[in-house]
Amino acid sequence: MAGAPLLEIENLRLGYATERGTLWAVDGVNLEVRRNEALAVLGESGCGKSSLARTLLRTLPRNAHAPSGQMRLDGRDVLGLPEERFRREVRWVRIALVMQAAMNALNPVVRVGEQVAEPLRVHHRLGRREAHRRAGAAFEEVGIATDFLRRYPHELSGGMRQRAVLAMALVTEPDLVVLDEPTSALDVLTQASIMNVLKRIKAQRGVSFVLITHDIATSSELADRVALMYAGQVVETASAEAFFGHPAHPYSRLLMDSVPRLHQEQPPRAIPGRPPSLLEPPTGCRFAERCPKAYERCSEPPPEVAYDTRHRVRCWLHHRSGGGP
Amino acid sequence: MIRWRDGLTQVRRYPSAVAGLLIIAMLIATAIYAVTAIPYSEAQKLWRGGDAWQDLPVNASPAWTDRLLGGDAPRTITVSSEDAPTERQDLGAARLETTTLEVDFPYDGFPSEINLFLEAEFEQGQPFTRVHWRTPDGEEIPIDARRVGERERFSISQDRQLESRLGRAPQVGLFTDAEPGTPDPTVRTGTYELVIETVHFEESARLHAELVVYGQVHGAFGTDHQRRDLAVALLWGTPVALAFGLLAAVGTTVTTLIIAATGVWYGGWVDATIQRLTEVNIILPLLPILVMIGTLYSTSIWLMLGVVVVLGIFSAGIKMYRSMLLPIREAPYIEAARAYGAGGGRIILRYMVPRILPVLIPTFVTLIPTYVFLEASLAVLGLGDPVLPTWGKVLHDAQAQSALYHGFYYWVLSPAALLMLTGLGFAMLGFALDRIFNPRLRNL
Amino acid sequence: MASAAPVSRTASLLRDLRHLGVFTAKRLIALLLTVLIGVYLTILIANMGGQVDELRMAQIQGEVAEQVRGDPAFQDLDSEEREELMQRQIDLEVERLRLDEPFIVRSFDYLRAAMTLDLGRAEQMHSDAGSRQVYNIIAERLPATLLLFGTANLLVFFVSVFAALSLSRRYGSRLDQTVIGLAPTSAAPAWFYGIFLILLLAFIFPLLPSGGMVAVPPPEDPWAYAASVIRHMALPVAAMFIAQIFISIYSWRTFFLIHSSEDYVEMARAKGLPDALVEQRYILRPTLSPIITSFLLMLIGLWSGAIILEQVFNWPGLGTLLFEAIGHRDTPVIIGSVVIFAYLLAVTVFLLDFLYAILDPRVRIDGGQG
Repeated sequence: MAGAPLLEIENLRLGYATERGTLWAVDGVNLEVRRNEALAVLGESGCGKSSLARTLLRTLPRNAHAPSGQMRLDGRDVLGLPEERFRREVRWVRIALVMQAAMNALNPVVRVGEQVAEPLRVHHRLGRREAHRRAGAAFEEVGIATDFLRRYPHELSGGMRQRAVLAMALVTEPDLVVLDEPTSALDVLTQASIMNVLKRIKAQRGVSFVLITHDIATSSELADRVALMYAGQVVETASAEAFFGHPAHPYSRLLMDSVPRLHQEQPPRAIPGRPPSLLEPPTGCRFAERCPKAYERCSEPPPEVAYDTRHRVRCWLHHRSGGGP
Repeated sequence: MIRWRDGLTQVRRYPSAVAGLLIIAMLIATAIYAVTAIPYSEAQKLWRGGDAWQDLPVNASPAWTDRLLGGDAPRTITVSSEDAPTERQDLGAARLETTTLEVDFPYDGFPSEINLFLEAEFEQGQPFTRVHWRTPDGEEIPIDARRVGERERFSISQDRQLESRLGRAPQVGLFTDAEPGTPDPTVRTGTYELVIETVHFEESARLHAELVVYGQVHGAFGTDHQRRDLAVALLWGTPVALAFGLLAAVGTTVTTLIIAATGVWYGGWVDATIQRLTEVNIILPLLPILVMIGTLYSTSIWLMLGVVVVLGIFSAGIKMYRSMLLPIREAPYIEAARAYGAGGGRIILRYMVPRILPVLIPTFVTLIPTYVFLEASLAVLGLGDPVLPTWGKVLHDAQAQSALYHGFYYWVLSPAALLMLTGLGFAMLGFALDRIFNPRLRNL
Repeated sequence: MASAAPVSRTASLLRDLRHLGVFTAKRLIALLLTVLIGVYLTILIANMGGQVDELRMAQIQGEVAEQVRGDPAFQDLDSEEREELMQRQIDLEVERLRLDEPFIVRSFDYLRAAMTLDLGRAEQMHSDAGSRQVYNIIAERLPATLLLFGTANLLVFFVSVFAALSLSRRYGSRLDQTVIGLAPTSAAPAWFYGIFLILLLAFIFPLLPSGGMVAVPPPEDPWAYAASVIRHMALPVAAMFIAQIFISIYSWRTFFLIHSSEDYVEMARAKGLPDALVEQRYILRPTLSPIITSFLLMLIGLWSGAIILEQVFNWPGLGTLLFEAIGHRDTPVIIGSVVIFAYLLAVTVFLLDFLYAILDPRVRIDGGQG
């Protein structure tokens, strides 16, 4: 199902300048997304996943340092591209973004249809009529009546706004769509229907997705692969089956245990403690403080270890030098 | 919401704020000095003009500006007969007293005026005096001869006869040795003498004389058309300006906030009424109404202050406070307060208002100069408080006397500079405070 | 699946127009009501809530007494008959001026008159054309005020919005800090700067006229006339400009900065839209409506200071008129001016609200709450 590598991220680092020093939101992340593949990036709030999303589109705020590392699209580095070229060649043409809290993602004083047609007119230089026709088609694809093209954002319900933002992302037919918490502001029913739309589009169009969320259950619907982030680093990358079925990292295991399931005997378990500060991250393994399996080796930063085919873990337990205390 | 203490320590980081604070401190110090050195009743009395100022020149510029520009304009010289030598000569039925008043005149410029004040003590017979002028070269110029009453003010410089005799205005002619008719006479520096020969017809009769040779400059701030030392008005203007600005700002800000909170809390028709009242208020033009009230009723500063506060309550600030207070209304701690039985008033005053207070501070501080200038505006229009000397009053007088046309720039510049200084001081502080306390600006 | 035909443009345009129409009508009514209340309050204040009647009575009695005593035809009457005569005169006057009716009733008549701009006759002043009607007096002076203030306001608005937009791109730069540093200059009102400008550019360096609206005698040629007016406008407009420009630029720039961190702006950049488009459509357009509201407040402040500014510059407008009226204690003119000011403000509020509705579609539909 998955094709050739589309997006490859190597050793990506991103820091924000704050009054108290540099805050490293993304600290050495390696990821890979293939064609027609959906990667879910999971993690708690503050683990750096939203910063990751913004780095992919290079829409970082003023106080962010320039990201370091490598980001390759179809083998070509795009992180070093000058801003103007990135704007014209990558943004929305190759990678698009669906933001979280779609409440505010739409310009309140411009009609929705205009906003959806906009990227076509800017990037593909389509005329007004053609662009609006395609916008209408995109609306249908995500399940909104084309009447609403001429409405303003505040005239749409929350779920419709989310779909509109999705339509806006698909209209230029990009290779990769990054979704940052696409369903967290929605009710369960709307969540499910949005997920269905995504699945359908993936099947029909062969688009790749990077789904960034903290909602493990919903992501499991769409994801082919999963990457788990903790304190700015990726601690485990695996296929969805492997991750949800038999996760390797202690954190992943604890997370799975904490998800309530319909038919289970034991109550879900919480994970004690809090994530570390990203201003001064701990020198060793960042999860050691809360890990039930931590031992002396954990005071050194663990490297990413190959656990299985396309299954990597950042943990001393699985290191070839012999895991375990 | 940032806490008070943290906010205040942060002020140090902004040089403009520190500068503003310094200015404000200076103004407050001046105000305190003014109020203690010249008590209120005395200030009123002084400013009404009259005899207290008779020794000061009219429209004199400040002494230091002249010196700064390298000039040597004359200062006022007062010589009193108490300090001058007096010769007595017995004439039988009468007594001749000759008093010589010495005037040491080293300046480059001519005096603006010369007055001789005479006070005679007698029972029935008025003394008779003869006055003449002696230049350093020894030239004697007769000035006048007359009977003297109890109090006389003899304006030498306005004596027409003397003027025609000298061929020039007396204050020039008496101090130069240039021929009459020559343009641009220069001052003959040196020691002049005014000789007063008085014939007394009674044993107990006395004559007190005071010669005032008015300068062109005076003091730190100059004088106005009524000879009043502007320093008095400028000094006393400080506490008035500060008090008015502060009271008006406090009055309007606090009441506006309480009203906004009341509207937000009770909602419904209370809120709607307040909104409508705000709209009406926006339409009422403040200054014209103050003008109307000032003309028709009285211009007492307390009345103006009251009207300003009343009209300022339902100002546009309400909209801003409303939008800030609305989310607070739904907050859980408010619900908790209602649950334990707190009434609307308590909730408004104890919970809602204090949350917004930090954001109010910069607004309040920046509002002060607005009211200071408002008071000045009223005064400039002629509607200032009738008894108090204020900066605006000085400006009004200056405008009324066409100060700029006559070149009396100092008259306009000193109150203007003080107003500007006050405005800047509070504004700079206010802007820095805005950057500290305004939550949205902090994250920029 | 066949697509539903998109709603035609005319249909949605009509729907928009209907919303706009309803909104406009509501606002108009609300404003009229507001003006009504405002004018009534003015009348109440001007008449001291009815107390002025007592003063009038005293005045009438005094006048009549003087009249009767001075008239030789009445010399022969004895005191009783004279009293009677005076009383009858007084009663006639009272009836004529309707002082026998309670003040409240009369106040509504004054209100009606004021609302229809029937502002009565001046006590002492008259217009240049010789009319004593307060309305004419005011109407003669109005264009001058509108010219001066209109020009200044528009200038400040456009310069500040565009300067602020470009400044918001240069956050933290030297230019930015300079403008922030200069913002407190707005503490002083326009007339204040006016005095300094006159001092500097009309007296010390006599480059521009120190007052008036046009050279005396006014030039015949319309172009020369216009040029003369422009020369005379330079200093007062400059004074208003200086007093407002830095705070305006500062406010809008801060505004733009805050709003450029909105989600939809980030989205626009993510969409790969060029900077100019993002600035114009995603930063400027959504914030235009709140900017206009702040602009309104600024305008009101400027209007209120008109009196002194015009006085300082001897500009023959509504402000100097009010000033002269103060000097003459000509009550009808004073009240009339206040009423006209209120009307002007109301019209400005209405125009800006209207603009607000056109620019911000959310307002139209919600009916303009908050």
